[in-house]
Amino acid sequence: MLDRIRSDYDAAIFDTDRDQALQAVQVALDLGVDAEAIVFGVVVPSIERYLAEAAANQVSLAQHYLAAQIAGEVVEAMLPRFRTAPDCLGRVVIGTSLGDFHGLGKRIVGGCLKAHMFAVTDLGLNVSPAAFVDAAVAQAAHVIAISSMMVHTARGDGGCLGVRRILAERGLEDTIRVIVGGAPYRFDPRLYRQVGADAWAENGLAAAGVVRELLQEVAR
Amino acid sequence: MNGMQRLLAAIDGTPADRIPIFCNLIDQGARELGLPPQAYFADGALVAEAQLRMRRRWGHDNLWSLFYVGKEAELLGCRRMVYADHGPPNVGEMVIRTLDDIDRLEVPASVADHPAFAEELKCIRLLREAEGGQTPICAYITATMTLPSLLMGMEKWLPLLLHGPAEPRDRLLAKCHELFVKEIAAYREAGADVLVYSNPFGSTDLVPMKFFLERSLPWIRRDVEAVGADGLVYYCGSARFNRVIDAVAASTGIRAWYLSPLDDVAEGKAAIAGRGLCCGVINDIPMIDWTPAQVRAETRRLIEAGKPGGHFLFGTLLMPLDIPDANIQAMMDAAVEYGSW
Repeated sequence: MLDRIRSDYDAAIFDTDRDQALQAVQVALDLGVDAEAIVFGVVVPSIERYLAEAAANQVSLAQHYLAAQIAGEVVEAMLPRFRTAPDCLGRVVIGTSLGDFHGLGKRIVGGCLKAHMFAVTDLGLNVSPAAFVDAAVAQAAHVIAISSMMVHTARGDGGCLGVRRILAERGLEDTIRVIVGGAPYRFDPRLYRQVGADAWAENGLAAAGVVRELLQEVAR
Repeated sequence: MNGMQRLLAAIDGTPADRIPIFCNLIDQGARELGLPPQAYFADGALVAEAQLRMRRRWGHDNLWSLFYVGKEAELLGCRRMVYADHGPPNVGEMVIRTLDDIDRLEVPASVADHPAFAEELKCIRLLREAEGGQTPICAYITATMTLPSLLMGMEKWLPLLLHGPAEPRDRLLAKCHELFVKEIAAYREAGADVLVYSNPFGSTDLVPMKFFLERSLPWIRRDVEAVGADGLVYYCGSARFNRVIDAVAASTGIRAWYLSPLDDVAEGKAAIAGRGLCCGVINDIPMIDWTPAQVRAETRRLIEAGKPGGHFLFGTLLMPLDIPDANIQAMMDAAVEYGSW
């Protein structure tokens, strides 16, 4: 039964059909499938399959967006139905760099992270380096995720470079890691090092794995 | 030969001294004149002057009338641009915050008289006076399906486009199309030769093929049918589009293709199949940090992939402001050397 639901859900995501995807989830609930099975047996595996297809360049931005949004929505709706509260894998604050008003990438990453049981605080658009660090400290987050769509907002002091400087000044580099993403990093995959990030992710679906690794680094 | 002759030769596949070289120096203009960006972009005469100076300095084959992409949002009511010293101005205020705002959106009766557009048209006229007929004058136009992302942000436009509600979405598209048609007419009347038709939704990097065929392509066709394909260049804002060339060429008559730097040039040429001009585009984002030798090698690689058989133009993507002059020089030198026939 779960195979059929999974197949319907995947097909809906592939066709960017949100209503069909949510319908597949509803059918599962109506058939008595429990919330844990829907999240960990349908939604998260779907993201993993997308990750594999994305690596082969077969997934469009719209499909990334839809997979992430629906995953985030479904997980949020299913969490209250869980028999036991799932473990939170870690806390992440996310936003776009100062001067950058492009929020789609951030939204995709946020949805994927939520689906993977990370607690995500979305700081919005045009976030200053100090605001990133302050929020990470306030939320006890160990990862700051910075999205930039423009070259100058990725490379400038209003982005990761500024965050890195403040982390160093405040002695937080051992406890907070920084991940970046966005078009400039796709066109220059070595750029993340130059701006002082610990890692970058090519898409929202990859970000969950990278964040997990960063959190393991901090835990060590 | 001059730039216009090279461009026409490349389109027609007739002999020329070398391939055309398009270098998109936009943000560099303010620095060229020693002005802050806001003052620079306020006057079309300054933009024209900077374009002419930079072309004389570097020797490329095109002139730009583009100020910044957000200009079209200003045409539809955006009153706040965020200027930056090291990059293009950014739309700092979304014109559409709620679906009700779509009803309030007004397409200017005459875009030519709109203050946000008048300076751009003045720039084109001045470029025309200076080098008209000798150097192709480029203008930038956002496709109907993409324009809403400048008005409401991609994170709101994408869900509206994908999931509706259909009625306000289609009303918004209709208004964007109306602006598109008026803008193209104004550009042509002022004297633009090359109209870069920018449409990330025309790329399968952005939408799946099924969506492209069922939703994007009909709007592309409608745009092109309304204004004619003359001078239009298909461009997807750095996203790849080799997979759709055949469908777009067959249904629109567009004859010039400005590939993504991530597209395979030889594959793109094969898809164009002699039906027009293939523009191979260098990935200029890493050029900030490359050595001149790396720039030279990449320029050579690209030209060697696209030049055989002609119908080829070498171009740049967005040329970030921090690219060192030595790298621009290395690119131009290599493009002339390897692009010569």
